[in-house]
Amino acid sequence: MIQLTATPASTSTLTDEPVHIRATGLRPSQIVIFQATLEDEKGNLFHSQAYYKASEVGEVDLDHAPSLGGDYIGVHPMGLFWSLKPENFLTKLMKRDVMTSPFLVQIKLYDSNLPLAQIAATDPKVSVTLERWYRAPGVTRIQVQEGHLRGALFLPPGEGRFPGVIDLFADIGGLIEYRASLLASHGFAALALAYCDYEDLPLHPEKIELEYFEEAVNFLLRHPKVLGPGVGIVSISKGAEIGLSMAIHLKQVIATVLINGPNFVFSTPQVYRGQISQPLSFSPQLVSINALGLAQFQYCFEEARSKASETFFLPIEKAQGHFLFIVGEDDKSINSKAYAEQATEQLRRNGKDNWTLLSYPGAGHMLEPPYSPLCCASKLSKLHLFMQWGGEVTLHAAAQEHSWKEIQKFLRKRLIPVVTSQL
Amino acid sequence: MFQLTATPASALADEPVHIRVTGLSPLQIVTLTASLKDEKGYVYQSKAFYKANEVGELDLMEASSIGGDYVGVHPMGLFWSLKPEKVFRRLIKQDVMNSPFYVTLNLYDSVYLQVSTTDQPRASQMVQRWFSGPGMQRVQIREGRVRGALFLPPGEGPFPGIVDLFGGRGGLVEFRASLLATHGFAVLALAYFLYEDLPKTLEEIDLEYFEEAANWLLVHPKIQKPGIGVISVSKGVEIALAMACFMKQVVATICINGPNAIYEFPLRYKDLVITPIPSFMERVQMDVLGAMRLRHYKGDARDELNRKSVLPIEKAQGAILFIVGDGDECLNSREYAEQALDQLRSHGRNNGRMLVYPGAGHLIEPPYTPLCYASPYRFNSGILLWGGDPVAHAAAQEHSWGEIQKFFREHLTQTRSKL
Repeated sequence: MIQLTATPASTSTLTDEPVHIRATGLRPSQIVIFQATLEDEKGNLFHSQAYYKASEVGEVDLDHAPSLGGDYIGVHPMGLFWSLKPENFLTKLMKRDVMTSPFLVQIKLYDSNLPLAQIAATDPKVSVTLERWYRAPGVTRIQVQEGHLRGALFLPPGEGRFPGVIDLFADIGGLIEYRASLLASHGFAALALAYCDYEDLPLHPEKIELEYFEEAVNFLLRHPKVLGPGVGIVSISKGAEIGLSMAIHLKQVIATVLINGPNFVFSTPQVYRGQISQPLSFSPQLVSINALGLAQFQYCFEEARSKASETFFLPIEKAQGHFLFIVGEDDKSINSKAYAEQATEQLRRNGKDNWTLLSYPGAGHMLEPPYSPLCCASKLSKLHLFMQWGGEVTLHAAAQEHSWKEIQKFLRKRLIPVVTSQL
Repeated sequence: MFQLTATPASALADEPVHIRVTGLSPLQIVTLTASLKDEKGYVYQSKAFYKANEVGELDLMEASSIGGDYVGVHPMGLFWSLKPEKVFRRLIKQDVMNSPFYVTLNLYDSVYLQVSTTDQPRASQMVQRWFSGPGMQRVQIREGRVRGALFLPPGEGPFPGIVDLFGGRGGLVEFRASLLATHGFAVLALAYFLYEDLPKTLEEIDLEYFEEAANWLLVHPKIQKPGIGVISVSKGVEIALAMACFMKQVVATICINGPNAIYEFPLRYKDLVITPIPSFMERVQMDVLGAMRLRHYKGDARDELNRKSVLPIEKAQGAILFIVGDGDECLNSREYAEQALDQLRSHGRNNGRMLVYPGAGHLIEPPYTPLCYASPYRFNSGILLWGGDPVAHAAAQEHSWGEIQKFFREHLTQTRSKL
């Protein structure tokens, strides 16, 4: 009898935890198709499939068996998750409600002689449904509307104080909560902070006021469940530009994770205490459009960057805390690798060694928590163009897995004081 | 004085257009776009950003695009980088005789990443791209079992005859045949399934059908004797090579990105049945967008076990030219061509040759045809990856088209001098 197991099968599996999938009771050397299906909160369907050959005893263990073909090849225990692809061209998988519902992933097994096009209409030989949660049991969510601040604070369960982290996404607007809720599931008090197009925040701010983010730092440090005396930041893209400025100007920011961010201001200028940091000018004519019409923008700042005086680049040497740079070398939206290298070079020149740079070949712009499917391009709402984010599926998945662990290690190291025992 | 010119304004689709702009400000950056609507109403667009020279002129024969759908000096770049608004559509002209493609060229005074309907171009030119020439004839063919369309150049003839075979999409694709006919060849675009009363699906290749077509062509009063040529792509290559092997009236065969062995279904010719090499469904690979790369999924034609499925190319008496896109994601085209040439060499034959184009994909078509990188495939509802780097693919199309005509002229018109 064919059996399909997935462990852990408990109902509270975090989406960033691996699952061990096994099939038994197959014919020796039988070739089968594993398919994963997920429906997001808007009803969009995502699928992935991989072909495996059963062992001489009729088993397939995804921890050890190589996929022969499909959405990935080789030994990838979580391949079915991170290679999920949308039925609707370029739809991104994004969990909105992180507290009350998981994503349901159905893993199904089919005979390999079934043409892929017929899978949807055919019953699988066997299937199992897994829950993938974006928060651990006991994590609480508090809507934040203090002063100017708008966002959501996620607290780990239990008594005591937790290291505080501010989570910043790019300036696409709204509030993206899933990374903060996952960080809270790993013991951090994480504030998902919105800064545009959310509640009463402006739709398209004319400038980014750093005082708003300073308010957020102070709010976090005032909170009875937050461990001081400093806070951390996890930030990506435009959020990383802001995170970098926060680290420079606010000495309570002691650990800053910068994922695929610039070392200069772009699009919207920044202001802090009357000082304006002007953006570097963007040369749209340097865009490169690929065979499918996906646009790469990563060289559009090069013209300005090569001519810019030093004042355009954020004075990272003034920051007192530590930095973790996470770079996807295949980032096609901004030249992440070059910007991180320039920033770390600036630190080196100033005699600083308060940074670590993790550079991932084949990883793109959208580095997310592990097992998130790669979104390689998105429609830009302001233009009718598809912006390519970059990334090769397998390498991007490996980078997400590795960097997520490194991010947590870095935050713990810098935010939790080491208790030294004195004999 | 400000002017946007595109000459010739009306031309064959395989002829280049010279685009020039004068009267701009010195070193001004402009946006040039091209757009066309196909016969089904789907819109295709391209754009490139150029910098005028010190005297405010722009000549696409010399100027380098700084960004957009292509970069560098590519006088016809706006044409071959046209992209469908609805992704994965393939541009194919249906009516090749009575209407051209109308391509609108627009010039905008500054950088427009995206042009909206309210943006007014500074200048606009429309060019016509025709797939047939004056005096050409299209004859619908329903002779015996043969189904297709014969394209005849103007005049009495006789003309060198060619059979044009497309691949697994079925139906009748006419534009390559009609364009070849504008260069003095009589070309029979031959359908073999999913057309008129032909079978709806391909379940075997009945080579006698193709022999009937070849023989019918040869007795036509406007066709030169005693030999004809065949041009083929993809699945069509299996058929063309089989024709070359078994029919001595086929004296010149062009094989574009196709196998030298029988795959998927058997080939029958009189008493002979060649069984196909199996494919391995489990070796299909999906690219990042979910399009299927079939390149690795066909069985190995060099495998001893598959020997009987390899076409006996040493029996072919005519000349054979393999045209290979090295960036083909659908088939291991280069491998097949190399094996075929090895086979010829090992039998002491030297009537085969190959042209390999690095970066070119599966669908090598006449010049300036936009690269179709991936498109839906009939048999399943998935998207198949064809591959190709746009610039390299465009160059391959331009070069190979000239080679195709040279090859047919060399091997078909010689037969006349033997009289």
